[in-house]
Amino acid sequence: MPVGRRPPPAGPAAVGTAGGTAHAAVRTAPGRRRRTNGRFARADRLAPYVLVAPAVLIIAGLRLYPLALGVNFSFTGDGDRNGQNVGLDNYAALFDDPLFTASLRNVGLLVLLLPVAVAVPGLLATFIYLKVPGHRVYRSVYFFPAVLSPVIIGAVFNLLLAFDGPANSLLGAVGLGPIDWLGDPGTAMYAVVGVHIWATFGMGLVVFLAGFATLDASLIDAARVDGASLPKVVRHVVVPGLSRTVQFVVVTTMIGMLTSMFGLLYVMTGGGPEGSTYLPEYYIWFQQGQMSRPALASAASTVLFGVMLVVGMLQLAILRRSGRED
Amino acid sequence: MTPLRAGRWLAAIPMAALAVATVYPLVFTANVAMKTRHEYVLDRFAPAEGLRWDAFAAAWSGADMGRYLVNSLVVVTGSVALLLLAGSMAGFALSRLRFRGSRVLFLGCLAALFIPFQVIMVPLARTLGQAGLVDTYPGLILAYTAQFLPFTVFLMTSYYSGIPAEIVDAARIDGNSLYGVYGRIMLPLGRPALLSVGILDALFCWNDVLIALLLMPSAEHRTLMVGVTALRGQYSADIPTFAGGVLIAAVPVLVLYLFFQRQIATGVTAGSTKG
Repeated sequence: MPVGRRPPPAGPAAVGTAGGTAHAAVRTAPGRRRRTNGRFARADRLAPYVLVAPAVLIIAGLRLYPLALGVNFSFTGDGDRNGQNVGLDNYAALFDDPLFTASLRNVGLLVLLLPVAVAVPGLLATFIYLKVPGHRVYRSVYFFPAVLSPVIIGAVFNLLLAFDGPANSLLGAVGLGPIDWLGDPGTAMYAVVGVHIWATFGMGLVVFLAGFATLDASLIDAARVDGASLPKVVRHVVVPGLSRTVQFVVVTTMIGMLTSMFGLLYVMTGGGPEGSTYLPEYYIWFQQGQMSRPALASAASTVLFGVMLVVGMLQLAILRRSGRED
Repeated sequence: MTPLRAGRWLAAIPMAALAVATVYPLVFTANVAMKTRHEYVLDRFAPAEGLRWDAFAAAWSGADMGRYLVNSLVVVTGSVALLLLAGSMAGFALSRLRFRGSRVLFLGCLAALFIPFQVIMVPLARTLGQAGLVDTYPGLILAYTAQFLPFTVFLMTSYYSGIPAEIVDAARIDGNSLYGVYGRIMLPLGRPALLSVGILDALFCWNDVLIALLLMPSAEHRTLMVGVTALRGQYSADIPTFAGGVLIAAVPVLVLYLFFQRQIATGVTAGSTKG
């Protein structure tokens, strides 16, 4: 799950007077600066830039610049036409490729399954918040798969979901199946998404629990004293207090589904059977790494970035809105 | 109160079942790793006939996992060190110092947060390739640092914003340069945040497979997770050894989780609640 894309509510606070005094000294009394704090004045003017330089250089050089390069690259050709401007040919080829359109259809499936992926941790967090027996243990247990690599999870589920594996033995014991979980184009994508949800619901759970911790317990007590039933308390007190948390989980879960299923796909299905488990990220890797068609891969990257941008804007809008609520 | 209490016990049943479902796949894998191939073929579920470590030893030596482990440790250590250094320096400057362009730089970081690796992987591989950094430790370390630095900078900026400006002022009056304030005050004060974000960064780097697969193509430079993906082909007929290899790769994360669960959860929830 891409925890890496969650901005904490921080801004350049810029309240530090330290750098400020140095600026003031430089501007107002260049002569006196030498005698009073001249030892640091010049160094202090430079210091902030020196401190941010490593981070800025790395982020600009290895994230922002490649983005521009990639968009540019998507308008050039592969192979014989390497470096030539081909206009929108790559994009046309992309939408003609059944593998790519299949990957977009799978994105649609992920969007449809999003409510499940959010409701499961939400419901479980509610139970834990209500202190069901054993609630202390559940939190630790549920969260654990979320820290495991998708590669390890995929390998474990390769064993469990094998045609002659334990999942089918269980089904057989109750007279069902067997199902070729990862070998049938009709079930493979559901199997992989199911494993992804199994592996990551702990992440949403922890976020929900952090949200519950900020709820005002006295409000809930007051509502109950006033005779509100439990469902009413949940609807009118708990859910409004958690709106920001819910939105946060929705957006991060969606980003996670779009960008962190590569490991599972690579280990469990390799995009198959019959290309039924392709996602844009897997398509990009396939075209770049296996087919040596970097320009086509760049076009797919640009499309994926468009999708991510919409999700990102959504997140910014949420942050801004919750800022107003505060 | 009584119906609520009954409801709690009712909810506990599916909760417990789910807890079992969460743990069982790993227990099953461990059990398989303890079996002989013959035992596994006969019965997948029966407990192994004793604690047998052969499969782990076979995977360790047969699949070269020691080498992959060293590769992973080198890359993760280098990346986390670089991330924490660059992240805390930038976090200090962006939260506590006023300088021209700070807002633009902060927004640049914010923008970088929304660029997934998949979107830049083609040009990044090309750029690193032109610099001769593909299939080298520094290349992968740089790629990981670039990938997780925006998150690290944000967390450190947010943490340092909560440290009173008076502390910085007092250190300045005592005769520290800004570098001195960073080294003597901000680094030690930032320890809780550095621990939390450092562990998360280590997990991200350790668990990654896409970036390593792309930038470390040769077999001798595989990280442990890439090594795990190769296990299936090597031991397709020897499931216990396959399971043993998978578990070897899972153990370091399990240990980290047991010791630092709280810090991991703190990092994961950063930004989800107000303030």
